[in-house]
Amino acid sequence: MSVTSTNVPPAPQTSGSIEGDVSQEFTAPARAHWLRRLLKDRAAFLALLTLALVILGAIFAPVLATHDPASNSRSVMTPPAWMARGNAEHWLGTDGQGRDIFSRLLYGARLTLLIGFAAVGLGGFFGSLLGLLSAFNERIDPWIMRTMDVLLSFPAILLALALVAVMGQGIVPIVIALGISSIPDCARVARGIAIGVMKQEFIEAGRAVGLSNLQLFNRYLVRNAISSIMIFISLRFGQTILIGATLSFLGLGARPPASELGMMASQGRDFLLFAPHIAVIPSVVIFIIVLSANVAGDALRDVLDPRLQA
Amino acid sequence: MTPTPIKRAGFGLAAAMALALPVAAQELTIIRAQDSNHYDPPRTTAQSGAEIIFMLSDTIVGLAEDMKTIEPLLASSWDVSDDALTYTFKIRDDVSFCDGKPMTAEDVAWSLNRWQDPETKSPVRWRMGDVKSITAPDTTTVVYELNAPHSELLYQLAQSFGSVIDKDTYEVLGKDFGVTGFNGTGPFCWESWTPRDKVVMTRHDGYNWGPANYENRGPAQVEKVTWQIVPEAATRTVALLTGQGDISPYIPFIGYSTLRAAPNINVIKSESAFWTNYMGFKITKDLVGDVKVRQAINLAVNQEAMAEDLFFGEVEPAYSYVSSGALDYDTTLDETLLKYDPEKAAALLDEAGWVLNSDGKREKDGKVMEPLAISFTGEWQQTSEAVQADLLKVGIELQIEPMDSTVYWGKSATDEFEMYVMGYPYISAGDALNLYFRSANIPTPNRMNWNDPETDELLVAGSQATNEADRAAAYAKVLHKVHDNAVWLPIYHRPMQIGYSTKLAPFEAHNIYGAGLYKGLQLTFIE
Repeated sequence: MSVTSTNVPPAPQTSGSIEGDVSQEFTAPARAHWLRRLLKDRAAFLALLTLALVILGAIFAPVLATHDPASNSRSVMTPPAWMARGNAEHWLGTDGQGRDIFSRLLYGARLTLLIGFAAVGLGGFFGSLLGLLSAFNERIDPWIMRTMDVLLSFPAILLALALVAVMGQGIVPIVIALGISSIPDCARVARGIAIGVMKQEFIEAGRAVGLSNLQLFNRYLVRNAISSIMIFISLRFGQTILIGATLSFLGLGARPPASELGMMASQGRDFLLFAPHIAVIPSVVIFIIVLSANVAGDALRDVLDPRLQA
Repeated sequence: MTPTPIKRAGFGLAAAMALALPVAAQELTIIRAQDSNHYDPPRTTAQSGAEIIFMLSDTIVGLAEDMKTIEPLLASSWDVSDDALTYTFKIRDDVSFCDGKPMTAEDVAWSLNRWQDPETKSPVRWRMGDVKSITAPDTTTVVYELNAPHSELLYQLAQSFGSVIDKDTYEVLGKDFGVTGFNGTGPFCWESWTPRDKVVMTRHDGYNWGPANYENRGPAQVEKVTWQIVPEAATRTVALLTGQGDISPYIPFIGYSTLRAAPNINVIKSESAFWTNYMGFKITKDLVGDVKVRQAINLAVNQEAMAEDLFFGEVEPAYSYVSSGALDYDTTLDETLLKYDPEKAAALLDEAGWVLNSDGKREKDGKVMEPLAISFTGEWQQTSEAVQADLLKVGIELQIEPMDSTVYWGKSATDEFEMYVMGYPYISAGDALNLYFRSANIPTPNRMNWNDPETDELLVAGSQATNEADRAAAYAKVLHKVHDNAVWLPIYHRPMQIGYSTKLAPFEAHNIYGAGLYKGLQLTFIE
């Protein structure tokens, strides 16, 4: 993959060198530009707003929840307020144990987002690092990439099953499994992007002025590749949440009475015929989060990816 | 490997029936939840195994729907010696296997001997008692000799494990017996098995030796039975409602009210099902080692609310470990049972030194009361979560680790938990107690680690009693003992409920080992 666009900004620096000064001049208006463009895109705006609301809901779950998410009641399977037999006390209804679905959703989103962020963070960090190193140093490149090929052959679900078998049920093995399964993808994409960056003239220039490998890697490579990598990671986020929910649906994730969206959908499965809201509501929330994450990721790519800019 | 003789017999039967019966094919589809690992009588303890084996083969004696009356089956009569050590069975001479071969006392003795043979590795070998020998002195006599009396012997011989199978077919099929083929004397004959999908069986035309509790003693009134597996509970309900299946004993509790309201479905219920769901305590673990803690947990859980809300009033809340209708249940136990009383539970915990800390959790010597319960997923997980919510109200933070049944069985044989979940079928109090409370049965099924020499002695005394009063007295003592020690948290007694199409004539549900249709002789379509 070669990047021929002249829009790739020179390596930004904080030490006040010539390149740094140029980059600051160049990137400040560019940043304002992409943010404006992003907010102009209505779908992206809506997606970002939804994500923001979900994240805020998750953060402020203890304040917003109307009930204790783990506390059961005698009113089981109450439908949502707008349906017949529904009532205002549980406006999204109750589940099979008589627990308030709205409150469980807030706490559930907390756990689901946490799994998503942690796994993507883990996978993204190690994946990008390995990919960048691979591109930077040709000697270790085959070793890293063949290891990635091996990792790529483990499906996330299988890996999660194995980890749960060893570590016991919980969200930690799920995060690790999802994180590990994100590493090879991130590494490949990061390597691709980094190879393009490595062919740029400013890398040669950096070498010519006698920058050390560490300086080259840190100041020139990482800073120029990071925005494209972040786009990929943001796209990966929705997918990770979905696999995380799948694993919880299979009973591998959080332990009861903790709520997790996939687990809530799973618990409602047996009542699908009689009280569909128990499974449908968390499933719709998963759908909305994943859709928003993907739309937002797409929009970010549209405005940030230098190759897509005119 | 293909069981050619059986298949040929099957095809022959089908051809014969096609000629004999001009009316529409009497094909029945039974919907169930899960498969068995195989269908070899002495080696499978699965309820889903027993369901099939009862229809494909016969036992030496049968059991009536009341779960108390022993009926003649392959044996037309029997004598028990005064010392209760020798049972002499008179075997019918008009019985034949599905492949047409006549069945003799030799086959009965061989099948029973195979059950007790250590090489068979039957997990339920103990049900046979302390066997001295099982012999067939002539073609119509089987002599079953014991080293010590075994008061429940006839009940145990009515279970599917002692089903009589054909030795020749077994020798041909070996380990594949009950996998690729089967040859028994039951009302139906093996046609095919597709694991995790279905078992298909066809009518045994010559069958006329059914147990006397059936009006129709044979042959079966339906030509072909397909046991179809539908793993999803809601889908089973829909399949029955839409006529994709004719009968299902595996309807989720939530579905029964819908089925009762449906014009095309009938539901039968039998209370004497003798199936109890409970959570057991690993009493050798610190957290639940104190009897007061176990009693408190019993008092803190509201079984009645669970029965109503979680199981839609379809089950009977349980406070005793065996159903009060079971043989040898002691009614004096009723006054001592621990019923819902959260205040008393809290007081008991205080008394035991487990006091509420600032977080509202019970704590003692810096240790928080958070016992770990392992659980199956699905319905059991719901049950555990309801228990968890009830216990939280008295400051006990139950940890639940739900797992798939394939993992659960192995895990439940370890020491890595404080509580576990289990549901089990039994035919009498003695059956239940001998299964769970013998010290020899540690680690499974005695997962509680209940190790009490007096219990062992009493169980032996009950098992070896030669009269009913002695037997009942011995078992009553054990019942009191284990209930006083609160080694279990009983949850509910599960009735046998079967939903069936109104196209079928009404019938009575059976309860043996959870096999609600038993021999299937009663099943018939209304003309």
